[in-house]
Amino acid sequence: MRTLSQRAEAFRPLRFPFGDMTLTLTLRTAFSRARSLVLVGLLPLLTGGWTSGPQSTFETHGPVAKTQLDVFYVTLWVSMILFVLVAAVLAYATLRFRIRSGESNNQPPPEQSHGNPLIEIGLIVLSIGALVIIAVPTLRAIWYTYDVPEAERANAYEVTATGYQWWFKFEYPKEQIEGSGALVTGNELVIPAGRPVRVNLRTVDVIHSFWVPKLAGKVDMIPNRGNHLWLKADEPGYFWGQCAEFCGESHAVMRFRVVALSEADFAAWLAKQKNPARTVPGTQIGATPSAASPRVEFASYKYEKQRPNSPGWSESFDRAPFAAWQQKQQVDAGENPELIAQGRKLFIEKKCAGCHAVRGHEGAGISGPDLTHIGARTTIAGGLLENTEQNLHRWLTEPNNVKPGNKMWFGGYVVRNNETGDWEEQFSINDDEARALVAYLHSLK
Amino acid sequence: MQAITKSDFIGKDTAAAEKRPFVFTRPTAKTGLVSWLTTVDHKRVGLLYGVSSLFFFLVGGFEALLIRIQLAVPNNTFLSAQTYNELFTMHATTMIFLAVMPLSAAFFNYIMPLQIGARDVAFPRLNGFAFWVFLAGSIILNVGWFVKSGAPDVGWFGYAPLTSTAYSNQFATDMSTDLWVMGLQVLGVSSVVGSLNFIVTIINMRAPGMTMMRLPVFTWMTLITAFLIVLSFPAITIALIALMMDRSFGTSFFEVSNGGLPILWQHLFWIFGHPEVYILILPAMGIISEILPTFSRKPLFGYPIIVFSGAVIGLLGFGVWSHHMFTTGMGTMATAAFSIATMAIAVPTGVKIFNWIGTLWNGQLQMRTPMMFALGFVWMFMMGGFSGIMHSAAPADAQQQDSYFVVAHFHYVLIGGSIFALLAGIHYWFPLIFGRKVSEAWGKFSFWAIFVGFNVTFFPMHFLGLNGMPRRTFTYDGNMGWNSANFIASVGAMILGIGIAVYFVVMVYTYFKGEKVGRDPWGARTLEWSIPNPPPEYNFAVIPTVHARDAFWYEKHHREEIEREKAKSAAEEESHGGIHMPSQSWFPFIAAMAMLTGGLFFTNHNFMGAIAGGVVLFIAVYLWAWEGPGGYHLHLDKDGNPIEPKDGQAHH
Repeated sequence: MRTLSQRAEAFRPLRFPFGDMTLTLTLRTAFSRARSLVLVGLLPLLTGGWTSGPQSTFETHGPVAKTQLDVFYVTLWVSMILFVLVAAVLAYATLRFRIRSGESNNQPPPEQSHGNPLIEIGLIVLSIGALVIIAVPTLRAIWYTYDVPEAERANAYEVTATGYQWWFKFEYPKEQIEGSGALVTGNELVIPAGRPVRVNLRTVDVIHSFWVPKLAGKVDMIPNRGNHLWLKADEPGYFWGQCAEFCGESHAVMRFRVVALSEADFAAWLAKQKNPARTVPGTQIGATPSAASPRVEFASYKYEKQRPNSPGWSESFDRAPFAAWQQKQQVDAGENPELIAQGRKLFIEKKCAGCHAVRGHEGAGISGPDLTHIGARTTIAGGLLENTEQNLHRWLTEPNNVKPGNKMWFGGYVVRNNETGDWEEQFSINDDEARALVAYLHSLK
Repeated sequence: MQAITKSDFIGKDTAAAEKRPFVFTRPTAKTGLVSWLTTVDHKRVGLLYGVSSLFFFLVGGFEALLIRIQLAVPNNTFLSAQTYNELFTMHATTMIFLAVMPLSAAFFNYIMPLQIGARDVAFPRLNGFAFWVFLAGSIILNVGWFVKSGAPDVGWFGYAPLTSTAYSNQFATDMSTDLWVMGLQVLGVSSVVGSLNFIVTIINMRAPGMTMMRLPVFTWMTLITAFLIVLSFPAITIALIALMMDRSFGTSFFEVSNGGLPILWQHLFWIFGHPEVYILILPAMGIISEILPTFSRKPLFGYPIIVFSGAVIGLLGFGVWSHHMFTTGMGTMATAAFSIATMAIAVPTGVKIFNWIGTLWNGQLQMRTPMMFALGFVWMFMMGGFSGIMHSAAPADAQQQDSYFVVAHFHYVLIGGSIFALLAGIHYWFPLIFGRKVSEAWGKFSFWAIFVGFNVTFFPMHFLGLNGMPRRTFTYDGNMGWNSANFIASVGAMILGIGIAVYFVVMVYTYFKGEKVGRDPWGARTLEWSIPNPPPEYNFAVIPTVHARDAFWYEKHHREEIEREKAKSAAEEESHGGIHMPSQSWFPFIAAMAMLTGGLFFTNHNFMGAIAGGVVLFIAVYLWAWEGPGGYHLHLDKDGNPIEPKDGQAHH
């Protein structure tokens, strides 16, 4: 196993920025790398950009994903060797025995031989041998990846992930909060690094699948079935995950992130999360006189409207996602208490509080993600958009253009008329209101 | 259909001469619409299957191209999420149930009776019924495109509880999933009655001397496939009926809130679904096992092992269903067992590949277009097989399941496998069926376009999957490292589309204007090539006597002996009354149309209409039984043309 995976390391192709350049750039780069083409062969070159990315199963960061990759490499090598052998014989037979142009198609037929039992049985035995090579590491890995190994079980941390159409809820059963049960977050799973984590998998509606490729292969969340998986992040880091079982209209945009922290950072994070929502002084309900609507001069940014399904990621974030996450834990500079107070009122007026919990504030709903510390998360909308002012504004003003079919829009902004069956607007959020809500939500660190 | 009508020179049906009640008057039209609606000729049924399945093949391909346009670039807005979900659901459902299965059925119908030296299938009217029911099912499945509710959008394996009334298509009028459920049930009826027919035909209607171990491999694979269909469709039928009950009458088989078990659906579905995979590939293997020997001018290498491995694949296929469910948390022991069983299937599959190569060895390979497609099949199927072995290792599959790696794998076995073989089969048997031959240059051009386009489309998908891209996603972000592979795949899909378009344009051209060829243009080895092309309605003027495997090859090398034998058999048959032909009937068509209307009413929750459809179906089947099999005798002159009957030898 070990040597195979080491050899596999060597096989791993050179990084080659084929991925996200324009076609001209790609060609230019390709020519400039002509020498490495000769050195490492065509396939790794072509595929260099194709084995690396935020959800690459080749770039493992934990023992479960590593074990699964090792098994994959065993199957890959066995398959490649067999393929090369069989393909060589096939190619030889095709070339050697074909009737060449110029030769007559009407020669006397070749010897009408019917087979050779010795060769046939020999090849059967050989194939069984090759399969045994795959079967042994497969069986070992099935048991290893199924649950936290006995030796580490005492040290394992437990969380419960629950799938909703189309977001993930994360619960920390060991972290009980006086008066409100276990600690709950949404769409960003924070775990201790270097410790095995057992993730209980639940769903409230349809089947979803929990997949963080760099940490562990997927396991499905199935109704009326208590599934689990385990994973371990070797080092602190920031990882991408995504629902892997088709779960309805917005399956493609049901994503999440996993943040692994050192033991000390994790303890600090837990302590902070257990606190009720942060209240900026002077923003309590009733602390300031109520205004009819937020005033434009509070505007902290200019909103740029996006077309539906436009991207919500940025290169600057991707360069150092973990640092970005740490930055997010800090209070934003230039908070505007008046705007935040307006936002907090709007959170009730626009019925947000009916579905979303903001522990310590007015939010009490449980059908949407818990927003108690939403300002400290790097993503919104189920891991789909970076948690920027622009993106949050966009999500609040036109949720259906971000995540088609979502329940914040259907049942929130629009409700069904039981007589006609049509969806009718219940409320909308204008740009000024959105800015106030953004300010409030971003203050919830 | 010009080429077909040429063979329709049979004399008037003498059954009509008898005084019988109006409803039992057998139709006798030999040309025109009525002749097709009432046909019981296995060759005509085969053509009906062929034409409709190729139509749906083009529809499914068009759906695939729309999908590839949407995925060509990240964050595309060419399709909405809802439309995309409908497209991938219908692409898979169409390709599996409306294209590959019926195209295989077309070959079963047309070729298999000819290969065993029979004049028709065992139950000719049931055969017509199977086709019309297939057409009814395909209409029910596709009607969603034209109504407000939209097409089915739950994926081709429709995992509960996404298919429950609470979740499926929740923002439209809720009918698309009902259409999917009803359509698949109706198609199941078609497949099962068709298969029963093939089984009885192969077991009972072989020519004298055609022992089981002399059957052509394509016929063997027809038999095994038919058994797989008969044994596996009950599982999905049960699942679909349970789901239908849940959706229409409030039962709780899969309804979570009342304690239903969604995982039960997956087990039932895949107990059908995995044998289904072999239902799609075994006919293809059969076709390849006909083409390679013909163009190598040499018998199939290791015939008994090829036949036996086909049977083993069929048998093991029932014991591996849960490898589609490695990520459902089955526990270690079940996962291990299904992992090992799946690896075991690689052995009989590998054996076939070895034996195909053995067939080429020491042969004289004629590189005609069917041979090109057949060799393309061996290469592509091999690649699909190897990625299949990678899935069989459950821990590796935990990363691959539901990713584009799986998409790559099953397209390698289903396009590179099934479709390549079916396209090879069309080329191969075209001269037999229509008496014309496709131009080699255009045939090879379409082969290379399809081969290149296919690989450019699907090879990069292996990397997309291993790089973490889940399947069934209508969009992806540009920062995931998936852009270039997706773009290349989309370009490949366009090349593949052009290749397929060229293939079909060439076929249509050849049908009207292609080079005419005589009997046995390829120098083939099996009995279907021993008859004139296009084949007469009665197939064989004299039922052949079989002396060896590759019966026609034997005939060609023992001409005098065979001529003597044939003269003797002809005289004997004439003394028994002549060539017996089945009578046409309206009832298969009427019964199937009753199923169509009843099914459509049911999906619309109009239960009175559904019951009315059921009543018409019942009456039609009853009358069908009552009218009796019918039949008449033909007498041929020296040139093989039927002599006008004089004495009205009808019997029933």
